Amino acid sequence: MFTLLNLITMLVVGAMILGFIAGSSMFLIWGERKVSARIQSRLGPMRVGWQGLLQSVADAIKLLLKEDIMPTGVDKWVWQLAPFFAAVPSVMAFVVIPFGKNLIVKDLNVGILYITSITSICVLGIFMAGWSSNNKYSLLGGIRSAAQIISYEVPLILSIITVVMFTGSLSMQKIVEEQSKYWFILRPNLAVAFLIYMISALAEVNRTPFDIPEAESELVAGYHTEYSGIRFAMFFVAEYTNLFIISAVAATLFLGGWQGPVLPPVLWFLLKTYGIVFILMWVRWSFPRVRVDQLMSFTWKVLTPIAFLNLIISGWILVR
Amino acid sequence: MELPVREEEKNIHSEECYMNMGPQHPSTHGVLHLELKLDGEVVVDSIVHIGYLHRSMEKIAENRTYTQFIPFTDRLDYVSAMNNNLGYCLAVEKLMNMDVPLRAKYIRVIAAELNRIASHLIAIGSFAQDLGALATPLFYCFRERELILDIFDEICGNRLTYNYMRIGGVQFDLPDGIDKKIQDFIKCMRSRIKEYIDLLSYNVIFLARTKDIGVLLKDKAVNYSVTGPNLRASGVRCDLRKDEPYLVYDKFQFDIPVADKGDVWDRYNIRIQEIEQSLRIIEQALAGLPEGNPTVKVGRIHKPPAGEVYLRTESPRGELGFYIVSDGSEYPYRLKIRAPSFSNLAVIPELIRGVKMADVVSILGSLDIVMGEIDR
Amino acid sequence: MKKYTNNLAAGIISLLKGMGVTLKNFFSPATTFQYPTQKLPMSPRFRGLVDLDPQKCVICYQCVKICPTGCLSIKHKELAEGKKALEVFKYKMEFCCFCGFCEQICPKGAIYMNKIYEVATYDHEQLYINLLNPKKYDEWANPTVK
Repeated sequence: MFTLLNLITMLVVGAMILGFIAGSSMFLIWGERKVSARIQSRLGPMRVGWQGLLQSVADAIKLLLKEDIMPTGVDKWVWQLAPFFAAVPSVMAFVVIPFGKNLIVKDLNVGILYITSITSICVLGIFMAGWSSNNKYSLLGGIRSAAQIISYEVPLILSIITVVMFTGSLSMQKIVEEQSKYWFILRPNLAVAFLIYMISALAEVNRTPFDIPEAESELVAGYHTEYSGIRFAMFFVAEYTNLFIISAVAATLFLGGWQGPVLPPVLWFLLKTYGIVFILMWVRWSFPRVRVDQLMSFTWKVLTPIAFLNLIISGWILVR
Repeated sequence: MELPVREEEKNIHSEECYMNMGPQHPSTHGVLHLELKLDGEVVVDSIVHIGYLHRSMEKIAENRTYTQFIPFTDRLDYVSAMNNNLGYCLAVEKLMNMDVPLRAKYIRVIAAELNRIASHLIAIGSFAQDLGALATPLFYCFRERELILDIFDEICGNRLTYNYMRIGGVQFDLPDGIDKKIQDFIKCMRSRIKEYIDLLSYNVIFLARTKDIGVLLKDKAVNYSVTGPNLRASGVRCDLRKDEPYLVYDKFQFDIPVADKGDVWDRYNIRIQEIEQSLRIIEQALAGLPEGNPTVKVGRIHKPPAGEVYLRTESPRGELGFYIVSDGSEYPYRLKIRAPSFSNLAVIPELIRGVKMADVVSILGSLDIVMGEIDR
Repeated sequence: MKKYTNNLAAGIISLLKGMGVTLKNFFSPATTFQYPTQKLPMSPRFRGLVDLDPQKCVICYQCVKICPTGCLSIKHKELAEGKKALEVFKYKMEFCCFCGFCEQICPKGAIYMNKIYEVATYDHEQLYINLLNPKKYDEWANPTVK
């Protein structure tokens, strides 16, 4: 029965999650700048606040105060809705992320399936942005990005299915509880699945070395070139929220979620997630970019066959 | 077996689009205007437009004395200014049959080779950045370059436009303590080269972006008068420091790295190996530095006898040539500069025919051109 | 098949080596310094802006003749007994190419280059400097150290 107490609980938890997302994105943006700076032997933001912690706040204020320009000739409704299609699914995926033993908004029994289906909507946002800007370079960026994301969904889902086979359930809390003996990454076939998952997830969120649509490509400026101010901020926040989500899912599926000996579970979960976020940032600043056709040939000729092989071997191990 | 083309496909009208890789662009090195004709993603044809940085240096030279023109040579190839100074001063000295003290020759070799390392560091760093390794190799290369620029700052007082060589010698003698600084730099640089090789050279993504791309065959390279590391990457063993040694290069032992395929990776790898060889030369030069006074006082107005001279030296980009015609007065009658990047750039329309867009930037970065000396 | 796995293994190892290099640099100290609050001193031979010691000048016009861009200009007046006195010594800073010829050719060391390197101004008039004024560089950043 749906009472007032339920409503208030939902609203309070929702507000907490949104607050956490905003704070986490700002922290991740600051973290990215600091990590990239230390790798490049320089210091990063240092002036605004202690060690530059308030730099993201200053950037957010700056973006909010910018003029809202809509170029002529754009497809009006599509152009205005595109940032929302990119940002909202990322926030929606937070419903099933297990922060602790009972700290999950709603433990759906199709947890991991829900996450993969919701994050697939992000492709729509990118493609809409590319199409509706009256700009042939944005269109090229949008098309490339759509092809990239759709192709990399296949190895991603295959590696997730490998994990689900070992637990027998799609629910996130059950997956974490299955790992109370030892974490899934310690099994060799699941370690391979972890690697495949990481590479596919990097390609899903358009990060280097797969960031062809987003970073300053050779000529074109990418699908979000016609956006400024708060709309651009939404794309930006969506990217970092996506980064957090894929790290959280990796920590849950492979590293044991919130399980750990001494510290409180929330702390373990955050430690593992931010550890994987650090590794992803480290990868970003180490490698050059892949070319578009090499990207596609890599996924269809290398990743997908290995993922299928891994699935068959895991099935054989389970049946034995 | 050829697949049969359907009737409808033959009637599809597809156009080629013209795209400008304009004068302002993050990936062209300087103000280069490349007009491309694209068919989808593949480049069909291209036209190169230059001249955006033309400062009429050759005309200015006709109204300046020989000593007064030296600061202008700094600004030709601003990345390796010592080599330009060197080429010009050697040309004027040959015209006047002037001899240079031995210590000055050794100091000139040290300065020129240090500048070769600095120039190759920029080439490698910006090439890696064009490929998408967002600024990490670039910062590492510039960190090493800062050490070289600090050494030059102590020697002559400036970091980029040195104005160090004079007609007959150099401006100042080496200050005290510079010996140790250069030795420290050599040690530091050797360990950093290993880092670059680990970070970039055999990285599988880097190899996929650079192997078998932009292949410049041997005969084409010679026909287009490509010189420098680009020519050596195509298999021609040609280096002016060994073929026609000037200064004291015949006293040092060093190798000339030559590759055989001529693709983008070879051009990059040769530059890394050349840095190592330059370090060897600097070590030998420091060890054998003789005593003497290498300085020249400014103020003498040189009046070379009437005649002409063409002298070429090996700059980091290729063969830099100075052609001076003198009519006996204090101003040159005609000064012509043969810039290596000008001939290297001429190969571009040939090399980028039929490659994808992403490779154009790769090829352009590997040729290592500087617009300052192309446009003069 | 064997070549395929060899290629894969070599690829992964190369990527890990690259990541090792960046990690090593992550833990090394930074090589930059915070510019407006920390400023490095310039080397002794550094060529900044042109400065003059009017007492030592013998008005030989050598610096004017050797300047490649013609940024110095002198006017003098004749006093009694063949002595000369400086009237005007103008320096057009926007033409100066900071080559250092004037400093090297001066027989008495009267004209020299100081250590000012922050030479951006808001006012165009500030670029025409009268070298005879002893307070000419007072409002510029950095002391005039010879």
